[in-house]
Amino acid sequence: MIEVIVNGVRTEISNEMNVKEVIKELKYRKKGFALALNGTFVALSTYETTIIRDNDSIEILAPVQGG
Amino acid sequence: MTKLIEQSRNTWEIGGKTLSSRLLIGSALYPSPANMEDAIKTSGAQIVTVALRRQAAAEGTGNNFWNIIKSLGIEVLPNTAGCHSAKEAITTAQMAREVFGTNWIKLEVIGDQYNLQPDPFETLKAAEVLIKEGFEVFPYTTDDLVVAKRLADVGCKIIMPWGSMIGSGKGLMNPDNLIAIRKQFPELKLIIDAGIGKPSHATQAMELGYDGVLLNSAIALAQDPVKMANAFRCAVEAGRLGYESGTMQQREFASPSTPTVGTPFWHQFK
Repeated sequence: MIEVIVNGVRTEISNEMNVKEVIKELKYRKKGFALALNGTFVALSTYETTIIRDNDSIEILAPVQGG
Repeated sequence: MTKLIEQSRNTWEIGGKTLSSRLLIGSALYPSPANMEDAIKTSGAQIVTVALRRQAAAEGTGNNFWNIIKSLGIEVLPNTAGCHSAKEAITTAQMAREVFGTNWIKLEVIGDQYNLQPDPFETLKAAEVLIKEGFEVFPYTTDDLVVAKRLADVGCKIIMPWGSMIGSGKGLMNPDNLIAIRKQFPELKLIIDAGIGKPSHATQAMELGYDGVLLNSAIALAQDPVKMANAFRCAVEAGRLGYESGTMQQREFASPSTPTVGTPFWHQFK
C-alpha cells in the first residue's frame, strides 16, 4: 500500500499505478472532471502514462456554480 | 417601440463570439437549481460563469448543475475563483479548459481575504502565461488604469475592472477611474465585474461606455431572482441605449425646457 492525498484527504491505494487506475480504484466517475497532480494539470490524454507515487497529492475537480 | 428596443440588442463581439446580450451572469447563490435556470433564461444573458471544485468519489457532484448549464446552450465562462497565486490560477484554467471545453477563462487571483481584492501582480503573471497557451483571458482586476495597461500589454483584449468589492452590492465606487480606463482603451472589451447591487448600477456602467456587466449576487440574492434578472436585462439595455444615444452635457445652472417666447399672463402683473 502507498499513501496519497486526494482532494486534501490522506488515502491509501494498493500500489503505484497510473492515473486511470487510481480513478478506478477510488471509484470516481469516469468523466466530467479534471485532475491535477502535485499542483500541475494532468491532461486526460496522459492518464495512462502518468504514475501516482507515494505521498503524491491529487486534486479532482468537477463543475460547480460560480460567479 | 419594438424597433427601439431592438436597437439596444445590436450584436457585439467578445472572445471570438457574436452576441446580442451585454449581461454576463453568474450561476451561484440561487435558492435552487430551477430558480437559477429560470433567472438565467429571463436575464437573456448569453454568457454564464461557472467554477471547479473538489469532486467527491462515487457521487454525482456537479453533474446535475452542469447538465442544466449545458442545456441552456449559452457560452460558459469558467472562473479561477479561490486562487491566490498565478500558479494555482494557471492550473485551474488548464483544468477548466478540459472540463468545460472552452478556452475562455475568467482569471481571478485574490490578493486579500478581507475585501477579496484581486492581486494585480499574480493576475498579470497568470494572464501572460495563459495567453501564450491560447486562452481568451477575462481578467478580473481593480479599477487601476496602470494595471489595465499592463494587462493589455501582455495581450488581454478583455479587461474586467471591479465596480466594488465582490458581493458587496455597493455599485461603482470610483466612476472616474472607470471612465479613465474606458477613454484610454477604446479598443478593448471592458466589462464591469463585481460590486453591482442594483439595476441602476448596471445602467450607470453601461452609460459609461462599458461593453458589458458581469454580476451574480445582485440577481441570485434578490427576493425574487427571476424578476430581478428581468430588471437587469432592461437596465443593461437601457444603459447601452443611453450610451449610444449620447447624453446631454451637464450645465451649471438651470435652463428652462419649455419655450420662454409667448410666456402667458403673469409677466403683466409685475
